[in-house]
Amino acid sequence: MFYELLENIAQNNGMRDVSPYTKLLLGLGCILIVITSPGYIVPLFLAVILSCCILICARIPYRLYLSLLCIPLGFAITSVIVIILITGGDYAIFQYQLTDWLILSITPESLNQGILVFSRILGGMCALFFISLTTPMTDLFSVMKRFYIPDILIDLAMLIYRFIFIFMEKAHLIYNAQVMRLGYGSYTEALHSFGHLAGAIFIASWNTGEDLIKAMDCRCYCGRFAMLSKESPIRTGSLILVLIFLMLSIVLEIITADYTLIHEIL
Amino acid sequence: MTNIILEARDITYSYPYGPPAINGISFHIRKGEKIALVGPNGAGKSTLLLMFNGMIKPDSGMLLYDNRPMQYDRSSLREMRRKIGFVFQNPDNQIIAPTVFQDVAFGPVNLGMEPDDIRTVVSESLISVGLEGFERRPPHQLSGGEKKRVAMAGILAMNPEILVFDEPTSALDPQGSEDMMELLEEIHNQGKTIIISTHDVELAYPWADRVILLENGYILNEDIPERAFANKDLIRKAHLSIPIFLELYLELVKRGMKECERPPRSVLDMIQVIESDRHGQMQMPCTLCGAIYITDCDTLKPRALQRFVTAHHITAIGAMGSRAKTRLKEELLYPDYTYAVIDRCILQAMNGKDALLLTTGGMLIRAQERIDEFNQENARHIKIITVIESE
Repeated sequence: MFYELLENIAQNNGMRDVSPYTKLLLGLGCILIVITSPGYIVPLFLAVILSCCILICARIPYRLYLSLLCIPLGFAITSVIVIILITGGDYAIFQYQLTDWLILSITPESLNQGILVFSRILGGMCALFFISLTTPMTDLFSVMKRFYIPDILIDLAMLIYRFIFIFMEKAHLIYNAQVMRLGYGSYTEALHSFGHLAGAIFIASWNTGEDLIKAMDCRCYCGRFAMLSKESPIRTGSLILVLIFLMLSIVLEIITADYTLIHEIL
Repeated sequence: MTNIILEARDITYSYPYGPPAINGISFHIRKGEKIALVGPNGAGKSTLLLMFNGMIKPDSGMLLYDNRPMQYDRSSLREMRRKIGFVFQNPDNQIIAPTVFQDVAFGPVNLGMEPDDIRTVVSESLISVGLEGFERRPPHQLSGGEKKRVAMAGILAMNPEILVFDEPTSALDPQGSEDMMELLEEIHNQGKTIIISTHDVELAYPWADRVILLENGYILNEDIPERAFANKDLIRKAHLSIPIFLELYLELVKRGMKECERPPRSVLDMIQVIESDRHGQMQMPCTLCGAIYITDCDTLKPRALQRFVTAHHITAIGAMGSRAKTRLKEELLYPDYTYAVIDRCILQAMNGKDALLLTTGGMLIRAQERIDEFNQENARHIKIITVIESE
């Protein structure tokens, strides 16, 4: 089932034993560099490097990674097309009169803008996928604890994490039961069935909440949630490597700040 | 009596706006007993179990733990719940935390133990249910049987004196159920009192010391399994069935077989009964009896088992306890028996074949005693060879 997929991969990936701090530093550092980058080269460069990390170091199957990337890239391409068509510039390379009041035009500036936005999206997505595919949620809880996030928020996050999967499974079962008895056949039927599904989930979550309190009482609950397990130790070697890499990327970002694709072609 | 650990005196309970669920029940449970609470769906088994650790307060009557009436204030309840561990029927209701380690640590953390102690306690309980190495796994990736074990480990980590299991074998496959019963046996050997509720008579019959038949909030019968399950009227009333061994035995007795002191509970018992009735006609000559090799898997050298099995023409391997099972898996061997292991090894030896019994610690002595006892009772000479250090 798809809802378990990402988390399963993160739990079993090749970089599971790398400290979450190192991975987070790399991922978040890359995101910061990507969104501050004025040129398109660094984001693309980071996208390639991070994808290599995901595919080679973390051993994520490339088909799966491509299909995951396709989801945000679909949105990205459509919005980039819009940006290219509506951003103004000095002269038009291509023009098309759609209606009396709307002229679609492509200018060098709009093309550059489009490419920059696209490369930033790609780089950012790769960094996000790097974090989510290599660092399971359970590791992030201990990181949250280390950064003094209030216990109550972490406890809530842990409970939510635990119960998301139970509810998804329940919803899936109810949905299947409805489909088997020909629910969702027509539009009105679908609305009706979905209402039933929501109602059933509400009742189920209410019951589960009560069961949860019972279970916690049975185990002497007195306000303290579970202790966090030990995370993998930070290895200085990999940490220094990540820092050097981020530094190099920043230097590259400064060097390539003025590069634009279209001016060089013309 | 001094060793009564849990006692109920005329307790009643009804759910709000519902008919009475418990209708005046009295019984007592001794320390170290294995009790099976048997009854149909809706008999009040779960309600009764939830009363044991104070989750439900009886409307009238009283419950006594260690000859002291239960108190229902906060601190007494906490103490009670530490001493009487409750394992829910559905492990999804019980597992709270996002990883196995955190979930097992939940009880100890709330009991205020030190972090280092918690780590030891958690790893010990995970080992005892056979789940070492699962610490970082999230529960939703585990199978049903593994989830049940996690729930058990979470309770064992609090070191209770009584363990209460609501339907421990429900939703498990036959192998899983047998493993679960074996695990209960193992925990019982550590000196715990165990109470289970079930409607699986076949599993309750050989396992329990005493059976409490429950129907419609009343106790129908309270006796040793041989007698409790033999009463056809009560069994029918409780929507249960007679265990197959008992039924077979009763039918054979009707057809003129000699009655014996204790009705058979297992295949081995049944064969003994039949043999003694036929004056040993089915017996093999004693010289043909096979040997049972008993080993402690903690003292064995790594990778010694494979060689041992081939060198000694072992035809069957029995693994008693979770550590023995893990050890076999590591050595790429598969146990032939994981449940009722001693009996099955004896059966194998009776057929003139050699068996290897792999176990740990105290169970080693228990296995020897059991085989000795069998030899004496039946004038057999099954050799016990204890392998301490494999050659």
